[in-house]
Amino acid sequence: MDKLTIPIGPQHPLLKEPISLQIDISGESVLGGSLRLGYVHRGIEKLAQSRNYRQNIPLMERVCGICSHVHTTTYSYAVETLLGITIPPRAQYIRILLCELERIHSHLLWLGVLAKHIGLDMIFMHTWHDREMVLDLMENLSGGRVSHGVNQIGGVRFDITPTQHQLISKTLENLQKQVTKLIHIVEVESSIKARTQGVAVITYDQVKQYCLVGPIARASGRDVDLRRDAPVPPYDQLPFNVITHTDGDAWARTYVRIQEVEESLHMCRTIMQNMPDGPVSVKARRKVPAGETTMRLEAPRGEVFYYLRSDGSENPARLKIRTPTLPALNILPEQLSNIQVADISVVLAGVDLCIACADR
Amino acid sequence: MSNYQVIAAINAKFHVAHDRLESIHHETTIPIEAHQLHEVVALLLEQMKITHLTTITAQVMEEPLDNLQVYYQFWHGEGLTLAIQLPAENPQLPSITDMIPGADFYEREVAEMFGIAFTGRKTTPPLLLPDDWDAEPPMRRKAGETNG
Repeated sequence: MDKLTIPIGPQHPLLKEPISLQIDISGESVLGGSLRLGYVHRGIEKLAQSRNYRQNIPLMERVCGICSHVHTTTYSYAVETLLGITIPPRAQYIRILLCELERIHSHLLWLGVLAKHIGLDMIFMHTWHDREMVLDLMENLSGGRVSHGVNQIGGVRFDITPTQHQLISKTLENLQKQVTKLIHIVEVESSIKARTQGVAVITYDQVKQYCLVGPIARASGRDVDLRRDAPVPPYDQLPFNVITHTDGDAWARTYVRIQEVEESLHMCRTIMQNMPDGPVSVKARRKVPAGETTMRLEAPRGEVFYYLRSDGSENPARLKIRTPTLPALNILPEQLSNIQVADISVVLAGVDLCIACADR
Repeated sequence: MSNYQVIAAINAKFHVAHDRLESIHHETTIPIEAHQLHEVVALLLEQMKITHLTTITAQVMEEPLDNLQVYYQFWHGEGLTLAIQLPAENPQLPSITDMIPGADFYEREVAEMFGIAFTGRKTTPPLLLPDDWDAEPPMRRKAGETNG
């Protein structure tokens, strides 16, 4: 049968973000594919050089619409390293609490998207309903569902009141009940396994060759998690398991992510039990001493990396952002070969695309 | 393998300037020449099993004026940076995509944003910029221009 090239995107009803995919098919078989990025490139790295360190926090928040908090956290830690300041323990706990809540809602969102793509709308409805609990909680804490504006240079912008403390505990309790049900469904529901097992396999060697990170790498057997390997406080005081799997297929990635939600819930409870008293920010100078630093944190999709250089002025001389989606997109063309047309959506959903992140 | 062992192994083969090792917080920085890049990366991959390239970062420096600084940032439980200085005119680097396919996107971004040519690649298509972009590379600051 003749080769046919189907263009999907950059604007397409099925795509939530703009990316251009060219997929070569022959009948029901996919022969290969290629992709083109850049449709939401905002020039954030260049913009950051024309704003001062404080003005850059709202800018960093807009790198990603799902894990916005981890970007401002990584940026803030990088600036604070150059300033030579340590933020108060309570601020550290609040930052990481929000990081873990963000991981929970990001993974639930992803599970919903996967379920939608494989035709299980009921799971999509349930996961997105549960995700709303986290978003409502984050809105209560910070005032924003997506852009939280939690961080400032030197700490966080708000404290957690006793009433909010109770609300968090109650929400975590309710979430735990739902997540336990979800884990059970994911583990026993044969129609999920039928659509994901053996599909979109990424081998351990491919993980190394393409420098993949996060749940994708862990689902293929690479035991790496920056929360354990390069912990910022209080990660070093929070007991948790790094979830890995060896199958490397869409099922393994589902397993890793849903188990990570359970681990994050556990971490949130530990954070709430051990949250120290005290101030939530310290004063920070406007001008940052000349120097260079890097900062790595584990975002929901894996290692997020910031490089920051100051020349002693009020604006950064260079700010480099590497988001975890970029390496995952790099391997996409290789994954889009020798599969069935019906599995294209599983491959796309499997890597947890975030195009705005990749484009910056 | 710790960064001290990595430096010792690289030093045994290439001469490394020790004054840069601690210049970046959280990273060990090893300054190398552009022509050494391929061999050093091969050494990291084969002998030390350091395979994870986090990213490639390029920037325009004030000192020496308008020279380019390119960092190959690795992670192996510790941060490890290979630092290469390039001239402002006609900057070139050997591609490492034959050894690390994951470097493809990073090289393409550095090429389009800073005008650095990567040798040894069949093509270097733009990653983020439009196909018909014909102005100068957007991240290259002109002489005397301040931030932004």
